[in-house]
Amino acid sequence: MEMHPRVREQTRSEFDTLIPDESELTANVRIEPGRAYGFFTDTTVCIGCKACEVACKEWNNLPADNIGLTGESYDNTGALSANTWRHVSFIEKPVLRHDLQQPFQSGWLMMSDVCKHCHNAPCLEACPTGAIFKTEFDTVVVQQDICNGCGYCVPACPFGVVDVSKVDGKAHKCTLCYDRLKGGLEPACAKSCPTDSIQFGELHKLQARAQERVAELHALGVANAYLYGTPGAAGATGDLQYLNAFFLLTDRPETYNLPAAPTRPANRVAPALTSGLATVAGLAVAALALFARRW
Amino acid sequence: MVQTVEGMVTIVQESRFQLIDDDGVAHLFLLSRHAAAEPADLAPLQHRQTRIRVHYRKARNLIGQMASSIGVLD
Repeated sequence: MEMHPRVREQTRSEFDTLIPDESELTANVRIEPGRAYGFFTDTTVCIGCKACEVACKEWNNLPADNIGLTGESYDNTGALSANTWRHVSFIEKPVLRHDLQQPFQSGWLMMSDVCKHCHNAPCLEACPTGAIFKTEFDTVVVQQDICNGCGYCVPACPFGVVDVSKVDGKAHKCTLCYDRLKGGLEPACAKSCPTDSIQFGELHKLQARAQERVAELHALGVANAYLYGTPGAAGATGDLQYLNAFFLLTDRPETYNLPAAPTRPANRVAPALTSGLATVAGLAVAALALFARRW
Repeated sequence: MVQTVEGMVTIVQESRFQLIDDDGVAHLFLLSRHAAAEPADLAPLQHRQTRIRVHYRKARNLIGQMASSIGVLD
């Protein structure tokens, strides 16, 4: 097994301080400000263990929500929310592999959903207070001391990620473990993923790795594997350009509860304003014409 | 119903904090929107290991409590 050379520097099993640049050991990436980082989620190797959900809640001190049974298979969190920043969806399909599957055996698609940390983030563009900002790692974070809970970011997000908490009245979402990145640590979800379905790294390297994985799957006969959120691919439509958290899927985006063609709401401002002004002008002309006829 | 617990803050994340009471039991709190405290006030309480008293209610549909007020005991 290939071992990172820095592993040899850390021979003790217990440490009294943080290992500098620990992400080099766990994700083979050094976290430095000014570079773009993200997640590559390969859904073909997700086993639905929910380790990412638990790790996220543990590190971010998030309470369990949606108590009770959802009735949606093994899904207990239901959706992304102010208190759930990773959501593992279970999609039960009748037949996935026609040649290998036993009769009446169901097939599963599993995917760990998360904030996409869009390049042109609509939530950031909609935020009137500047509480949502781009970090030095090219991720999108809500500053809690500035958020006034207006909720404009909630409908602006084309993926339905951002949510306003009913308890503190502020918007919450995945921070891509901003505090961990600043300390040189890999995000909790990616570090806990036992199958490396969630991979953390520098964005351009992840995108290249994802392309290779798609080619590998195609060679193995999985012809329906494709990327969602890389430049020019599905999910990066509507002027979003690309998503820092992107996915490898094997079915239509809608199957995974992802929009097929998400768009940037800011692009609709100019046409909406123009049509509004045109309507006002048209009504004014009509009113003038009516009054002119009376006089 | 408002309840009270005393202890020290051990973890702070945004407006959420974990308090360890005198029996060593951990409680997860979310700062209520009506509390006279901001998320920025929580980190100093953790760093100084200040003993605090928290008045709280049960949060609906959450395994956590809603902190309505925080008082410093030391």
